[in-house]
Amino acid sequence: MLKVQIGTNLCGKYFLISTACYGVNYTRHLFIQRETPEEDLKPEDYQQFRDVGAACLSGGDGQQLLKFIQDEKNQVTSLILDGRLTLDESRAASVGLALSALHKQLSRLPVPYTQQQEEADEHGLCCCCVALATFTRPFVDGVKKKDENCNPTPEDDELKAEILKFCMLSLKEPLLEAELNRDRKSTLWLFAVEIMIILSAIRESLPGLLFFSSLRKFTTMDTDLSKESAACLAYLLFVQLIAMDTFPAVFNPVFILQCNMEHINQLLSRYAISKLQALFAKSLEKVEDNSLPVGVLDLESFYSAPQILYLINTSDCYFFPNVLCLFYTNTISYRSLLCRCMLKTSHHAGVEGYIVNNIRSQIQSTIKGEANKWFLGTELLLLLELVLSLPQAAETDLLTNMDKIMESLNLLRYLLTRDKELKSDADVWEELCRIKDEYLKMLRVCISMSRAYYSAEMKALKEERKLKQARSTRLLKTITVKHDKVSHMSPEVQYQVLQSALVTFDLMESLVVRIDEITEEKQGKPH
Amino acid sequence: ILSYSVFFSTSVCKESTAVFAANGIDITPRKDQGVFKVVKRQGLDGDRPMIGDKVTVHYTGKLLTGKKFDCSWERKEPFCFNVGKGQVLKAWDIGVLSMQRGEVCTLLCKPDYAYGPTGNPDKIPPNSLVVFEMELLNFEGEILTADGGIMRRIKVKGEGYSNPNDGASVDVHLEGRCGDRLFDCRDVGFIVGQGEDKGIPLGVDRAMDKMQRGECCLLYLKPKYGFGNEGKPEYKVGPDKDIVYEVTLKNFKRAKESWEMDLNEKLDLVSGVKTKGNQYFKAGRHHQAVIQYQRIISWLELECGTGMEQHKKIQDYVLTAHLNLALCFLRLKEFSQAVDNCNKVIEHDESNEKALYRRGEARLLRNEYSLAMADFQKVLEVNPLNRAARAQLSSCQSKMKEHQEQEKKIYANMFQKFAERDSKVCKLTKRRKDESMRSGMNGEVGIKRRRRSQDCPS
Repeated sequence: MLKVQIGTNLCGKYFLISTACYGVNYTRHLFIQRETPEEDLKPEDYQQFRDVGAACLSGGDGQQLLKFIQDEKNQVTSLILDGRLTLDESRAASVGLALSALHKQLSRLPVPYTQQQEEADEHGLCCCCVALATFTRPFVDGVKKKDENCNPTPEDDELKAEILKFCMLSLKEPLLEAELNRDRKSTLWLFAVEIMIILSAIRESLPGLLFFSSLRKFTTMDTDLSKESAACLAYLLFVQLIAMDTFPAVFNPVFILQCNMEHINQLLSRYAISKLQALFAKSLEKVEDNSLPVGVLDLESFYSAPQILYLINTSDCYFFPNVLCLFYTNTISYRSLLCRCMLKTSHHAGVEGYIVNNIRSQIQSTIKGEANKWFLGTELLLLLELVLSLPQAAETDLLTNMDKIMESLNLLRYLLTRDKELKSDADVWEELCRIKDEYLKMLRVCISMSRAYYSAEMKALKEERKLKQARSTRLLKTITVKHDKVSHMSPEVQYQVLQSALVTFDLMESLVVRIDEITEEKQGKPH
Repeated sequence: ILSYSVFFSTSVCKESTAVFAANGIDITPRKDQGVFKVVKRQGLDGDRPMIGDKVTVHYTGKLLTGKKFDCSWERKEPFCFNVGKGQVLKAWDIGVLSMQRGEVCTLLCKPDYAYGPTGNPDKIPPNSLVVFEMELLNFEGEILTADGGIMRRIKVKGEGYSNPNDGASVDVHLEGRCGDRLFDCRDVGFIVGQGEDKGIPLGVDRAMDKMQRGECCLLYLKPKYGFGNEGKPEYKVGPDKDIVYEVTLKNFKRAKESWEMDLNEKLDLVSGVKTKGNQYFKAGRHHQAVIQYQRIISWLELECGTGMEQHKKIQDYVLTAHLNLALCFLRLKEFSQAVDNCNKVIEHDESNEKALYRRGEARLLRNEYSLAMADFQKVLEVNPLNRAARAQLSSCQSKMKEHQEQEKKIYANMFQKFAERDSKVCKLTKRRKDESMRSGMNGEVGIKRRRRSQDCPS
């Protein structure tokens, strides 16, 4: 509907701003001489600037408008702003639209990632950020004044919501991607500071955005935006320390770590590696040694922790030694966390068996090494709960899970031979025994059920063979194992398969019996 | 107030710690002298905050040297948090729970209950005693859902870090009240997400995943999460009533999460979930149906399966779940969610009649006429015999006409209005110019922002 052109004529002296409104058949042309003294501008010019500004935005020419503002900062900005401030009908909505449209233009520009690129500002991103911040200032100041005079209206609340949306958009783009360095206060750094100032001016509580936003319904934006922006905000606050001096100092570091894990996961999904590493390290720094409850690690948000550590390990981030140290001294052992994760998610008996073996070696070295004794406490129990469990209880397929079960039984046998060291914590030992007893009970049931089933199959096979030998020389028979048919096997091979299954069960049972023997021996011994 | 400022003067500080300890009460549960409290101003006699409550306080934190390290008054922003949940310093959780509304008190905190051996890098040295002056402005129950329909106040704190998830089996003791009248009192076990089967209100079911083992809490439920606009005649509870349930979570066993199950397990269970969802939908229990259908999606949306057959099976389940969700959300009048779910189907299958139709319905109900029309037209392209779509199309057209008539009226005199305003602006600017020229402030016309009060009335 509205077409806009901004240009200069040949001698660069005049701006031609023309608007053509096709629907209504009228056009306005405005020649404005550059550096026109203020007094020579007529009231109609103010009006037209305003209309042109609106037209620019609705036509998607926001970038041009921004450049225009930037270039003619002193006079034109104030004119256009004056115009804006007198917009009465749904001011908040139109401000919101203006900001969104301008930001959209901004987000198309590539983000510089080196210092040289940022200083060169080839594509003008930094410049536009400054202009946008300038543009927003009067609205923010207006809202702030209203608050101070204690007479905000619902209209003001709407305006605050639109300004908040603008801040969140800016946090996502470009700040989430930008390289920020506290020691080098670049343009983008200053833009970040500006955003924080705006958030404070519109009375937006930072703890509210970072820690308590899950229950909040944002009227002007969707949850994805708010999550990504909050992650960037957490980085700016905790790592770059922007606005940190006025942030409440009374939060529990464990709580902060829990909340930040959500943000770290967001950064992980955006592959903002250095940012998330820094945030992770900073959050761990403040947690007191041995104060992180092990149960916290079972929260879903912590399942990315091994992934993060892996990323730290494989990059040359200088946080690497610090974070690992923190991790070891904070009652979390990297390996045990990794083990727990993999046991829960791998669904592959071979892998699980390997991990259980790994756990045994770790326990071995812990006992020998005299260090990290806390590992043999609650953490060990949590690991054992995962290791000494049958996924489908009594109906577990022992053959599929054979690797894991055999390793688990070996681990149990090892633990029992090391009872002296482990009994030092009586509660832990008692719980360990309980887990062991439950596991073995279930396993025995499982073995006998499996053995019965396979024996029956073997018997049926023998009977079939006898009958067939009596009748004919047909060789093929189908066995149904679970829902699949095992066909194309000769009876001899089938027999061998069943036979080896039974042998496996015998092997398992003999291990169980051995464990029982050891238990009895130990109980018989005096303390 | 005078004694208070004397209290904080540097020279007096060392003696004052002893004074504090002498006059204050040890409020720690173990009586280990970790936190001493002195009440400066009594609060409103009445109840105290309960665990989990959202409390609002103002505070100042100082070191014994008198140096202030944190102050909410200076930020002009009261500080909010959920008390008793480990979100803040230990001293605070203990301290605030002991306060009454309007109370002002001072807490002297040993490092174990405050910043410990780590301290706080720039502000607080390791192993510092700290002093907080606190004012409890307000406290209220914890809101568990974004729409404020479930509010919780914890009577007895539970333990552990895990909560019952969807599909978990829970054992609870329930006491339901409407006003003061007890209408429901029983021990019952149910599956989270399927509480409906045992006559458990939606609010109690949905609160489960926020509860800890052993917790006893009060749940204040709005009708949406209680018995709705039907009420519950068996309990003699009328329509649209607020109810309160006291719930004790005695025990629970978590269900496996999606990432804890392998694909075969999921496929075994998924048809049961779908049937359950359909049952709830037929019974008009749309919220409950949504829970079941969403479970299907969370289990299967990232699975690929091995081989074409399995892959197709998974896809069918997921797309059907999205279609069903769209229908549920239409009934629940959550139109954007309905559209989102339809979009998921249409991404895969542009000509899915049901998805297009339901999206059209949702858009029409959101007054997005042209979009709705486009959808219904597409439906007719796919199936020209769809009478319902034809009817909807004409409904769209007539509604759109109505809307356009209204807009015409609003914008009829738009340029007239602009012209009127232009002339007003002209007058005002001229007047200001004249004024400022008289006052000799050349060159500053227009840079001063016009005051709101001088704006043209709309």
